Amino acid sequence: MSLLEIKGHSGIGPTVHGIALSAPDDFSTRYDLDRDRGIFSRPSHKLYGEEFVGRILVLNAAKGGVASAWMLREMVKKEKAPLGLLLNDGNPVMAQGAAFAQMPFMDRFDVDITSAISTGDEIEIVPARGIVRILSRIKTKD
Amino acid sequence: MFATSWYERNMKLDDVEKAMLDGKHGRAAAWAIGFQKDVGTFFDAEDFVPIRLVHVSTDRETMGDSGIAFIEELGSLRPSERYPRAYATADFRGFDKENFNFLLPGRNLEVEGRQAVEALGKLGVVTNHAYVNDHSVTAPGFGEACGYSGTPSVIYMNSIVGARCNFEAGPSSLAAFFTGRVPRYGFHLDSKRFATHGFKLDFSPANIVDWGVVGALIGRELNSYWCVPALELTGPPPTVLELNHMALAMASYGSIAMFHVVNVTPEAPDWGAAAGGKKLDVKTIDFNDVRTFYQEWGGIGDELDVVALSTPQMTVTEIIEIAALLDGKRVHERTTLLIYAPKEIKQACARIGLTQIIEKAGARVVHGHDFFATFAKEIRLAHKWDRLMTHSVKMVNICAGYGYRPTPASIQRCIQSAIEGKVIG
Repeated sequence: MSLLEIKGHSGIGPTVHGIALSAPDDFSTRYDLDRDRGIFSRPSHKLYGEEFVGRILVLNAAKGGVASAWMLREMVKKEKAPLGLLLNDGNPVMAQGAAFAQMPFMDRFDVDITSAISTGDEIEIVPARGIVRILSRIKTKD
Repeated sequence: MFATSWYERNMKLDDVEKAMLDGKHGRAAAWAIGFQKDVGTFFDAEDFVPIRLVHVSTDRETMGDSGIAFIEELGSLRPSERYPRAYATADFRGFDKENFNFLLPGRNLEVEGRQAVEALGKLGVVTNHAYVNDHSVTAPGFGEACGYSGTPSVIYMNSIVGARCNFEAGPSSLAAFFTGRVPRYGFHLDSKRFATHGFKLDFSPANIVDWGVVGALIGRELNSYWCVPALELTGPPPTVLELNHMALAMASYGSIAMFHVVNVTPEAPDWGAAAGGKKLDVKTIDFNDVRTFYQEWGGIGDELDVVALSTPQMTVTEIIEIAALLDGKRVHERTTLLIYAPKEIKQACARIGLTQIIEKAGARVVHGHDFFATFAKEIRLAHKWDRLMTHSVKMVNICAGYGYRPTPASIQRCIQSAIEGKVIG
């Protein structure tokens, strides 16, 4: 039973559920992460200092260059990866990286996904059907 | 190795592509077409478009051990199982042994680099140490579809050459190498190449770093791969190097893969052609916007740890300028001055005496991958560096995430600051 179901474009990867780590900022594995420590390392990022390993990242847009295509898989292999990734606006690099890493990834939602999902919410992603379900909330959104 | 399809609906495959998927063209092609089908379906590609040229982005830091292992796994297949269907170059440039021993002591990057070059070479990928936007690799023709990996190369080719390409990042371009095709979506489609947003410069950028700032401002404003800016100038037309710096920054700050400069780039002889007949609102960028961007990074008066002139790597013309600025001078003892150039350019500079002038001043000419792409965070930690200067607005963006406090400035200001050991205004 979900509290809310959000539609997006069909995505990549298997169905997963986990705890969200959400911010309205953009995302690049190279620009924003300390991939060895598993934390956000860019001082200007709203998630600076937050641990991302095992969380479902909910962010705005994919940014930057080619690095994420290789890096997401390397992070999975080193067990330093997020569980899944939801972006309002993806790009080919992030889709290619997710497909290579077999990491759940969706974008193009019918709402601003960073407003709809808060850090700490328990969510389920069903990429094949383009659905995100909010299973429980850490707090009520205004 | 074989990809899994996640979708209830998939893009259209022809008979050859179906045979690839069924493994009839070898295991590498089967992996590749499955991977490409998943990505193509994600972006609603109708079908594939054939390509001739591929560029594989393979810097050692981003590939990681798992990327090398993946390429070695492909290389371990019998040749009939990994037949190439395109001409591929890789930008793996190896490591400059002497300089990387200084930058990252205790780590044998030469061996790590050789491992990647050998693995790629076994597949038939040409490791020629260059990027198309470094002007050291032959570019495709106007309108030609291709499968290039590096974002600087892709935005350069879409915008300046008029070739057609999406970001086909590392594994994606490798897949194109085995299938000889890429999914037809994004910038392979006429409709996606028209400008979506208009800009006008009401000043004339003074140097390449100003052009980089213009690219950063537009990238930040649009912040989407699917946006295509068109820019109208008031001053003289930019050089290719200036356009290149603007392109790098747009891709870095906004994931932009294509732009037009009206009356300069090949698909924008006028506003009508650039925007496909649409009337766009045009936002003006003035020099105050540029000044504000510089002020954001600050640093004037700070002790200076490192100057990295890179991204894109230096041309001979720029190295002539740098040598002239350093001739008879000495880099301050607290500052490291690094000048990155493709191996062939470094050798050319040595032949005409430029490298010797630069090294006599205490600076280093480094060949190999760019500063930001070769363990810049680890280098910072090894040397306890903090304040960085560079003329590359893209590098400013990346190195801020690696814990540096970067200051963007012209080459002249970077060199003068390195001599004084502090960031000068």
